[in-house]
Amino acid sequence: MTTSVPEAGAKSRRVRRADALGNTGLYLAVSVAAVFFLVPFYLIVRNALSTDAEITGENWKFFPTHLRWGNISELFDDTTVDFARSLWNSMVVAVLMTAGILLICSLAGYGLARIPYQHASKVFYAVLATLMVPTAVTFVPSFVLVSSLGWVDSYRGLVIPGLFSGFTCFLFRQYFLGFPKELEEAARVDGLGYWGAYWRVVVPNSLNFFAAMATITFINGWNSFLWPLVIGQDPSSWTVQVALSSYMTNQTVNYHLIFMATAVSILPLLLVFLFLQRWLVQGIAQTGIKG
Amino acid sequence: MSTTTTRGIARSAPAGPAKARPRQGLGANRTLNFWLFTGPFLIGLVIFVFVPIVWSVWLSFYDARFTVTPSHFVGLDNYRHMLSNSDFTGSLVTFTVFAAFIVPTTWALALGLALLVHRLRLLRAFFRSVFFLPTACSYVAAALIWKMSLFNGVRFGLANTVVGWFGVDNIAWVSNPSPPWYWLVVVTVRLWLQSGFYMILFLAALQNIPGELYEAAAIDGARRGWQTFRYITLPQLRATSTAVILLLLIAAYQAFDEFYNLITTRATWGQTPLMVLYKTALGASQDYGSGSAGAVILTLLICVVTLFQGRIMGFGRGEEST
Amino acid sequence: MSAQSNSHWDRRTLLRAAAGLAVAAPLAACGSNNGRGGGGSGKQLQQYFHAYGEAGVEQAVKRYAKAYSKAGVSTQWITGADYETKLFAALLTQQAPDVFEFHPQIQLVKSGQVADLTDIIEPVKDDFNPADIASHSYDGKIYGVRMIDDPQFLFYRKSMLQKANVAVPTTLEELIEAAAKLTTPKVKGLFLGNDLHAVEAPLIWSAGAETLTAKNEIGYHTDGVVEGLRQLRKLFTSGSLLLDAPADFWDPSAISQGLCAIQFCGMWAMPVMQQALGDDLGVLPFPKVGSKGRPSVYNGGWSMFVNAKGGDVDAAKEYVKWLWIDQKQYQEDFATSYGFHIPPRTSIAARADKLKSGLPAEGVKLFNTYGHFDNIGWTQAMWSAWDSVIADCVRKGGDPEAALDKADRTVGRELKKLFG
Repeated sequence: MTTSVPEAGAKSRRVRRADALGNTGLYLAVSVAAVFFLVPFYLIVRNALSTDAEITGENWKFFPTHLRWGNISELFDDTTVDFARSLWNSMVVAVLMTAGILLICSLAGYGLARIPYQHASKVFYAVLATLMVPTAVTFVPSFVLVSSLGWVDSYRGLVIPGLFSGFTCFLFRQYFLGFPKELEEAARVDGLGYWGAYWRVVVPNSLNFFAAMATITFINGWNSFLWPLVIGQDPSSWTVQVALSSYMTNQTVNYHLIFMATAVSILPLLLVFLFLQRWLVQGIAQTGIKG
Repeated sequence: MSTTTTRGIARSAPAGPAKARPRQGLGANRTLNFWLFTGPFLIGLVIFVFVPIVWSVWLSFYDARFTVTPSHFVGLDNYRHMLSNSDFTGSLVTFTVFAAFIVPTTWALALGLALLVHRLRLLRAFFRSVFFLPTACSYVAAALIWKMSLFNGVRFGLANTVVGWFGVDNIAWVSNPSPPWYWLVVVTVRLWLQSGFYMILFLAALQNIPGELYEAAAIDGARRGWQTFRYITLPQLRATSTAVILLLLIAAYQAFDEFYNLITTRATWGQTPLMVLYKTALGASQDYGSGSAGAVILTLLICVVTLFQGRIMGFGRGEEST
Repeated sequence: MSAQSNSHWDRRTLLRAAAGLAVAAPLAACGSNNGRGGGGSGKQLQQYFHAYGEAGVEQAVKRYAKAYSKAGVSTQWITGADYETKLFAALLTQQAPDVFEFHPQIQLVKSGQVADLTDIIEPVKDDFNPADIASHSYDGKIYGVRMIDDPQFLFYRKSMLQKANVAVPTTLEELIEAAAKLTTPKVKGLFLGNDLHAVEAPLIWSAGAETLTAKNEIGYHTDGVVEGLRQLRKLFTSGSLLLDAPADFWDPSAISQGLCAIQFCGMWAMPVMQQALGDDLGVLPFPKVGSKGRPSVYNGGWSMFVNAKGGDVDAAKEYVKWLWIDQKQYQEDFATSYGFHIPPRTSIAARADKLKSGLPAEGVKLFNTYGHFDNIGWTQAMWSAWDSVIADCVRKGGDPEAALDKADRTVGRELKKLFG
């Protein structure tokens, strides 16, 4: 798997020592970088399990003297923000978004990449053009539109407007451009047609890429903020990001609760990640998200 | 995997003659299929993306305050106002500085991490996860950590605690524009959140570089390290690099969340174009006409920059093969 | 690549799991009906409130709404910084609130967004603080019902001033000196909010100027204000001003956690501060600037408005009349049971015992002696122009005259649009 120079037979002792030195340097560098990347996580855990007095005290406490696990139940017992509900909402929204985007954008990406239609490139450029428009730009008209459909405070309003991602469609198209033609052509000749070939041959052979896209879409769905903020007028339709920001803007700041909420909001994604990340690497390696 | 492969091989022989059959009426069939595949997406795109865009453009020619269905046509007045508005033009400068710094830095950091992780044999998955995990955090969560615990201006911020060990007084990281520490705050949050994702892209690309290239280079006497990196790794990563830079540029243009959450909206510094547009249209000013005009200007700029970048870096090459 | 070997199995399970989720999720979606609730039949109204930080306010507001018999009233409780975004986005749509709290804004009147409430206020007009009527009037009509007045001033720790041997400051210069003396490595002397926005208006008033004159012309561009801006710049660079506190001026935590000795805050936070600091607390107005100045207090607050474009304006007006004009015990409860606010109606203020002694009484005295109210013609765009003034000359160190000239252009454009 490694791409470094192959071990060419017996090495001289000097080379080996240089290797060892290089390795030490490598692990030192990577560890230092890792420490920097982990500091924010450390802060979350430390603050989540401390009391406010410990967090705001005059001298820095590296770790609370007593780990206050009770902060967890305090978070979920808090009646002003229904945090459990917001977690559930985020889960539903992220799952629906992931399923919807994968379905709709992969079909479109395939159509754009593989079905020779004379105006296909024009359609593609129209899709590409939407990537240039900052989302905040169309924010207010979108909201008025969605609201006139009566979708405020509903999963429909949270999910459906976000399904038509030009970017995801673009990535799928790039991927399908590189998909081996022979496989699907054989299937089409077999009488399956584009539709059958797509479902029976193309999709089953692209699961790595779908998993990679699923990971990215899920993260985006879980983390999106401004849209759910405005669509979720009623607290019962808040997503976890909205709930989190509500802690931040409350008039009295409860540090331990805020950080406990942060920790709880990140945890599901961390688990999803640890589970899915190897597909992510493979999926991307297969496509080469390339120019 | 195995079944489809065999099928592909099995059918490859009669493929030639059989191809003739479905070719009858193929044009109509193709058109139908094309719309079948892209239809759902395109319908949604028109409703939820194009309609709002056209609506915004329309608003930009009207005096639209506290309404999105205005009746008072003002021509190019909103454009004139935005272009003479020093907050907006200043934000374009801010953005340019920001992009000129964050794009190469993220690129370099992501590539560096990928190269390091790629060379690891022990604990590789662990380190990859460590660098990748921040991607799971939202801007809301990250801004919260940065603002409340890392870079707050008081004694119980981690950054101030650390500089305190060296006898430095508490620093107001964001409120005080001189020296511009706020850049450190904004840039670190973005690097932390983004680098891991781009590192994965590079890692994937590194795995795709054929090992023979390095072997051949070793035989030719190329030294490990800088030479192989310069003459093999980097050229092999060209496609990925181009894509990453394009993605980073788009992301930089869209930069909003961390600025919104970290820098007070009452500041006049560190304002990206989207921040200014947000304040113009969405706060209590509710000037949708001017906001939309600024948005149109910004979009045109993005198009120009993207096309320009595409020219230089060759992005979009190979599109013609469609 | 160990993953490859067992990927067949993994893929299948993954796919199956994904399919399961995809089926389950829409079902879940069907089950949730987030329609606007509120029990009972008949009329439905919706009200918007920003999130008050004091415990119990949300429950109180919902309790009042429940007690109303002529319509079901649902409440949207919206967290602080996002209130304006949510409110104004919603006002553009069919799902707009019927009644909402906000500050008097001429733009809301001119765009026909808020309904004329003269007929419900007129009968009790004399019971209201005249300034509260004036700040909600335009062209002889009254557009909002004041619910609470929120004076904002400086709170200080008596013990810290004593220890540093500092007298209570009476001018801005003295305040700056005091801040310097009170500053230690762990405690800053003064906190005026992270962006200084809160002290913009007090600075203008304390320098003896006005935001807008009675004729709706620029009133803030005076020598006194320029002098005040110079002094603020001095304070900003002195190292004795607390900056980048995790919570802004409206939150009492900076002073109650001992991060600063003097904090600009609102009277609403007084109960929390007293709980944390006991008697170790005093209040003073924003001190005068220069020789011509006079101390000032900003009388902010919240008012109830009726959405003129709402579904049933009459029902909404009736509800506002019921709660904010007829139900005096609720109004008193709202003003004094959670945070401290001053009731805008003299009859209620007269019987609000909690505000009659001790520190609250001193706050009321500052309100009455030095208070300045909102000017309905001073719009959000003008506030933003002044934010730029503070940013340019206090925080960046630019020339105050140039900064004010720049603000004059923006404010002038606005004034021309509003008043011709």
